[in-house]
Amino acid sequence: MSAHPSPDLRPSTTGSARPLTTGKRAPKARRPRLAKRLLPVVLAGLLAFSGWALVAARDLDSSAAAGNRALTDKAGTAAATGDISNTLNTVFSYGPKSLDATQQAARQLLTGTAARQYQQLFAQVRSRDSAQQLTLSTQTVRAGVVTLHGGTARLLVFLDQTSSRADGKKATAAAQLSVDARLSHGQWIITALTAR
Amino acid sequence: MTLPRPTLLRPTLPRLTPRRLVRGLATLIVLAATAASAWTYADARGSSALTGGRARDAALATGRQLVARLNTLDVHHLDADLTAWQNATTGPLHDQLARSRSATRSSLARAGTSTRGTVTDAALTELDPGDGTAKLIAAVTVAVTKDGTTTDARKRFEAGLTRTSGGAWRLTSLTALPAAGGDS
Repeated sequence: MSAHPSPDLRPSTTGSARPLTTGKRAPKARRPRLAKRLLPVVLAGLLAFSGWALVAARDLDSSAAAGNRALTDKAGTAAATGDISNTLNTVFSYGPKSLDATQQAARQLLTGTAARQYQQLFAQVRSRDSAQQLTLSTQTVRAGVVTLHGGTARLLVFLDQTSSRADGKKATAAAQLSVDARLSHGQWIITALTAR
Repeated sequence: MTLPRPTLLRPTLPRLTPRRLVRGLATLIVLAATAASAWTYADARGSSALTGGRARDAALATGRQLVARLNTLDVHHLDADLTAWQNATTGPLHDQLARSRSATRSSLARAGTSTRGTVTDAALTELDPGDGTAKLIAAVTVAVTKDGTTTDARKRFEAGLTRTSGGAWRLTSLTALPAAGGDS
């Protein structure tokens, strides 16, 4: 609107610097028409970019690297290692008088194949330990989360297991377990155990 | 002053025809969509879940290989394997291996044992994607061959990892973690 007076002034100040653009009226009239025609093309281009950006962003979010929240979600990782460490310490610690309590706790903290394996193991423990009066104490020494996807996790856990017999003899052994777990009402439950 | 203005301005204002309204609205909507989607993409691209996740995956994958390598040694290729050890490490562990190389070489040659390490499972326990440092634990089965017979030994390790200036992860420490006060 206010642009009208300035082109009229320009030839006198800039001299013959731009005789082509300042002298003719025709290109100026054509420019808005060209912009009008180009506008749909530009808008379509921007829309295409938007679509690409949204798809690319979704791909990044669902990529394996971003989807696995192990260590990138500090609170979630700490909750998983904490729960699993506590569970392993509990279910693999027992004495002649605490067998029932340990097995009761295991029923709540293990499920699936882990629960079945554990029951078989515990049946052996019961028959053997009635004679040996064995006490087993398990301590988690390291735990790392390999994958963490919302409600499921995989961990590697290093355990120290100290067994003491009634005669006072003690032995400590190292155990390494790959643990599969799932989150159930805010508590990580072990679904599978694999010795390494 | 008050009278001439409206008469001057009115003819210069473009008339708001339905077509112009549609064009203007479409432009606004598309520009807003472009800005929003560009922001969404930039956010996903720079999210800590993605950059941290990529660092974690790289550190874990490389760490697994390097821990296996440092548990592997063919008595017939001592020099090549000891060089591979040094190439797998950086910082203090690299210096230590370089210093003790000749002593290690002669003692290994005398022992005559070959080892092959396989990482059966590994996980990171610490990760700082910004600093490029990580801690890894690994369960390793080492096949020890001496005089034609091979026995498997199960071991567990904790390793420190650092991302070098070239972007590759290397071991800065490797410690066996035997059971406390007992045999592993």
